[in-house]
Amino acid sequence: MSHSNTIQVIVSAIHQVTPLIKHFVLRAADGSPLPAFSGGSHIIVVMRGGNRVYRNPYSLLSSPNELESYEIGVRRGDPSRGGSVFMHDQVHVGMPLEIAHPVNLFQRDKLARKHVLLAGGIGITPFIAMMEDLRSGAALYELHYSVRAPEHAAFKDRLTARHGERVKLYYDSAKQLIDIEGLLARQPLGTHVYVCGPAPMIERVIQSARAAGWAESHIHWEQFNAPPVGVAFDVELAKSGITVTVPPDQSLLEAIEGSGVDAPYLCRGGVCGECKTKVVAVDGTLVHHDHYLSADEKALGAFIMPCVSRATGKKLVLDL
Amino acid sequence: MLITGIKSKPVYTPLAPDVVGHTHLLVGFGVGGDPLLRLVGELAGSGSTRSSRQLYYVSDPDLRLASTSAIEAADAGVIKLYTDTQALLTDFRATLERSIMGTRLYVAGPEAFMGLVMRIAAEFNLNRDEIRAEECGSQARRVHCIHCRTQTENVRTNIVTCVGCQRWLVVRDHYSKRLAAYMGVNIDAEVPGELPPIQEVFV
Repeated sequence: MSHSNTIQVIVSAIHQVTPLIKHFVLRAADGSPLPAFSGGSHIIVVMRGGNRVYRNPYSLLSSPNELESYEIGVRRGDPSRGGSVFMHDQVHVGMPLEIAHPVNLFQRDKLARKHVLLAGGIGITPFIAMMEDLRSGAALYELHYSVRAPEHAAFKDRLTARHGERVKLYYDSAKQLIDIEGLLARQPLGTHVYVCGPAPMIERVIQSARAAGWAESHIHWEQFNAPPVGVAFDVELAKSGITVTVPPDQSLLEAIEGSGVDAPYLCRGGVCGECKTKVVAVDGTLVHHDHYLSADEKALGAFIMPCVSRATGKKLVLDL
Repeated sequence: MLITGIKSKPVYTPLAPDVVGHTHLLVGFGVGGDPLLRLVGELAGSGSTRSSRQLYYVSDPDLRLASTSAIEAADAGVIKLYTDTQALLTDFRATLERSIMGTRLYVAGPEAFMGLVMRIAAEFNLNRDEIRAEECGSQARRVHCIHCRTQTENVRTNIVTCVGCQRWLVVRDHYSKRLAAYMGVNIDAEVPGELPPIQEVFV
């Protein structure tokens, strides 16, 4: 179910847009238009590096109106995992890659009267596509984009050229901070807030919106957690009758896939809930890293999200 | 059967404070005044300020028990009394234009009244988690003729004559939030005049 629907693409251009971010342009290998998507969607890029397969989610930043190519921005991340390092160091123009169909877990609310978008660093990518959708709509919109320093402001010129005054930049280096509380304290009825960026920024936006009395249906956020590195452990797949070892730098989902078992997934970032798996038995502790299960569900330990979560202890048995 | 088992029929629940909101708009008609007064007390008890509570109320001339003096004495920063629903709706729309995120809406009264209020709220993208509604008073329905699109007010019977095209309509449970009305469909198209028994069902 998870691997059957991939699309073969060719890397047609690569640009180093900031010291840490590379911009990739992908075209269908057979030259046909790519599947339609809406702003906020992401794809999974499958990277086959030696004896290891990486599957990382990246937001599409190209215009949903242009399907000749997809564009993604990749920030060079923690080298201990390697997916983004592979994209930066191994991927070259002309190279074939495999991607999964776009999925949107960060959609704009189509009935909103106003959209307030807050981006931190590489969190800008879903908004670039979303703002193309917003540009042709009737609702008001504005982007507040925070980066470390001017040289880190990826896609700044493209955004200001398309959206002008609606884009506001903030540089940490110049001590410019988004006044999140002030911004959310006086918005007209029907405003929706969207945030994508580092975890503390997301948390602050959610808390500020709640403190200003916002109802949950108006608060939207997306954060793909890279699967954290942990301690190696064994997992027994009850239905398949096999046991696999999950190494420190692989996710549970990757280890399951490596054993040849086709487990469900969509976001690979602990957000969507698609990979929710029943825990049959655990001798040790589940280490939940997802944003999907509630605190109660995590405490109960009946389910785990294998895309980002792990276990410690002697044994974990899953209903797979 | 045409008339029942349709999921679009709204479900209402007794009003309770939503203390996350910073401004509370209370809108009612007729006997809806009682739950609103109860809610004003609960909101006051939950620590909200008097100025955060705004009360908009239409007294029902048909009701002996409409106690407007209790409404006038309510513990709210804004109290507006109307004898006409349209006047309330005009003020309510102007209030929403000025309102900011963090506002909550509470509606109480007959469904035919609440539907009009909630239709305006929807224009301002107030969602289900920002609106609470308690149904009380007459069950009479506003019926939208699917043939001539005229709305017949105050329908108490399962079958009614459309005030627009004079067709006999059966009143369905199919409710449109956009129209704030139930759908009425011609019942005697095959054999004109052949009707099931007409009964008073929405009292």
